[in-house]
Amino acid sequence: MLVAERIVVASSLVWAAALLLWQLLAAWGGGRKDYSARAGSPSRGVLYNFAAAMSPVRKEAARFHPFKFAVGMVMHAGVAFAIVKTLVILVRPETPPVTPIPLGGFFGIAAAAASFLFLRRFFSPNLRPISNFDDYFAAFIVAIYLATASLQDFGVVSAGVFLLVGAVTAFYIPLGKLRHVLFCPVARLDLGRRLGYRGTFPATRGAKK
Amino acid sequence: MATEIKTENTRFSVGDAGQVMRAARAALAEKLRDLAAYHMDACVRCGLCGETCHVYRSDPVPENLPAAKAAKVVRHFRRYHTAVGRVAPFLVGAKRLTPEALDELAEAVYGRCTGCGRCGLNCSVGADIGVIIRTGRNIVAAAAKVPSNLQTVVDNQLNTGNQMAITVEELRETAAWLSEDLQLEMGDEDVRIHVDEPGKRVFYLVNPREVKFFPLSLSAAAGVFHAAGESWTMSSRFYDVTNYGLYSGDDDAAARITRQVMEEAARLGAEEVVLSECGHGFRSFRWEGPNWLGEAYPIKVRSMLEIMLEYIEEGRIKVDASKNAERVTLHDPCNLVRWGGVSEPQRKILSAVVSDFVEMTPNREQNFCCGGGGGMLSMSEYGDRRVRSGAVKADQIRATGAKIVATPCHNCADQLLEVNKKYSLGVEIQAVCELVYNALVTG
Repeated sequence: MLVAERIVVASSLVWAAALLLWQLLAAWGGGRKDYSARAGSPSRGVLYNFAAAMSPVRKEAARFHPFKFAVGMVMHAGVAFAIVKTLVILVRPETPPVTPIPLGGFFGIAAAAASFLFLRRFFSPNLRPISNFDDYFAAFIVAIYLATASLQDFGVVSAGVFLLVGAVTAFYIPLGKLRHVLFCPVARLDLGRRLGYRGTFPATRGAKK
Repeated sequence: MATEIKTENTRFSVGDAGQVMRAARAALAEKLRDLAAYHMDACVRCGLCGETCHVYRSDPVPENLPAAKAAKVVRHFRRYHTAVGRVAPFLVGAKRLTPEALDELAEAVYGRCTGCGRCGLNCSVGADIGVIIRTGRNIVAAAAKVPSNLQTVVDNQLNTGNQMAITVEELRETAAWLSEDLQLEMGDEDVRIHVDEPGKRVFYLVNPREVKFFPLSLSAAAGVFHAAGESWTMSSRFYDVTNYGLYSGDDDAAARITRQVMEEAARLGAEEVVLSECGHGFRSFRWEGPNWLGEAYPIKVRSMLEIMLEYIEEGRIKVDASKNAERVTLHDPCNLVRWGGVSEPQRKILSAVVSDFVEMTPNREQNFCCGGGGGMLSMSEYGDRRVRSGAVKADQIRATGAKIVATPCHNCADQLLEVNKKYSLGVEIQAVCELVYNALVTG
């Protein structure tokens, strides 16, 4: 059942995982020892940067742009669910579709969110000058992936089509900006560790009077 | 054949163009060991970072968007360090390093960014744009295209030991007359500015600005040290707390400047280096210095703020807050607070030495840059932008209703003096140690 499609998507996932791992190691480059005398706790800094620092109260990018930030969150939540859906079909293709209306509806909303971000990039005077093909294509392929997830839940397209779109998306991840799926958490980890080491994080009162 | 690459930003002749580009590429590759690639691959150019930046807020053009400035660096990273960037650069906006591209890069990373790092803390995905910008400065510095006035400051530090090229004689004369004034003011013949005295516990570094133009903070520090019974000295040769290698992006120069100071501390036999109130000086000597040198310091390095708080908490100095009766607010230098982790000592000190202390909003690690960081004060070509970007800080100060702005940074103080004039704030700018000195209870 869906043998060819599953092989294709599995190959793409292996390709993406292998390249991302290679890119991570290349970017790390062995790292560098910090010779300065530690003043704080790197682990507490990391915890802070993955928890309180991500709340809109502490993050102006979210606080000043609640709608755009929410749209981004919806899209990313949709992608996370779509990846789970892909893995479920990959491992157990006989699994029946689950609650198609709520989940398919959510994928539809997430696809609309991705489309909004694609169009915003095109029309925003701030974003257009710094955008390249990769920026547009990444938003486009994610919108298609989410739309296919939605349509598959509603029975409009087959699971095979959804898997193939997933395979294309996964293949593209390490080639362009979609690799931020790995590098965003890694960057957050690095900043949290560094500012925790120096005692800046955890920060608790900066935004308040 | 050697080619002179002439641009507005080029200060001196460099080797052939190929050599320059190879040096720039090597600087980029070297910087990747500081994990800069993590952050370059994390930035998704969502564009939500604009309002986090004082430069963008005061002039909201696309070029001032932190993501746009970062993109000027990232495009070179993609060209040389990603497969798609090598094979099909147009797909990912990758760009080769060329003299023209280096000029564009220099304009973005020196002329539109102070490297304050506020955007990184508020980034939607957590990318540290400050690290990306400094990578850009590393690249430009390797290609010898640092803005000429900024490079002059670095050269002064390397050639004379201090950024203002103050001579040993001038330093000694200043210390002598400041000591005389201080003796009269404190009514104590023993108080003086100690210079070149070996065997003292504390080796004190100051901003040459204190020696040349604003000696009040130097004499205030001397007064505080004396009141605390501290054993301290300066050096007549290497006393500069600043390190413009941090700003220029020349890590080799930064390392040499660090080394000459730390060797002087060892020569004088000091047990501790105390840094005068200076944001980037603190970051340079306390945090970056050991990494530039590639070894841990044998002695402790602290800020004057930390040692003054210790004096107050241990009862080594007595202070009376009513001596500073006017409302005081505090400006947080980015390199001291966000990049340096020192945010509370200055607050505890001010709470003890002034009777009406109010915070700016936002403050601490979320403070806005005054606009004078990143070496901006030395780059006259960006002077208009610098003063314009101070509008954000001017609004913050005005909202506090304060009469005095305390700032533990001489660089910030210079910018705030201009901001004060330009935006008619009617405030006084003072170092924290000046307020401590003023509150001292002696006798």
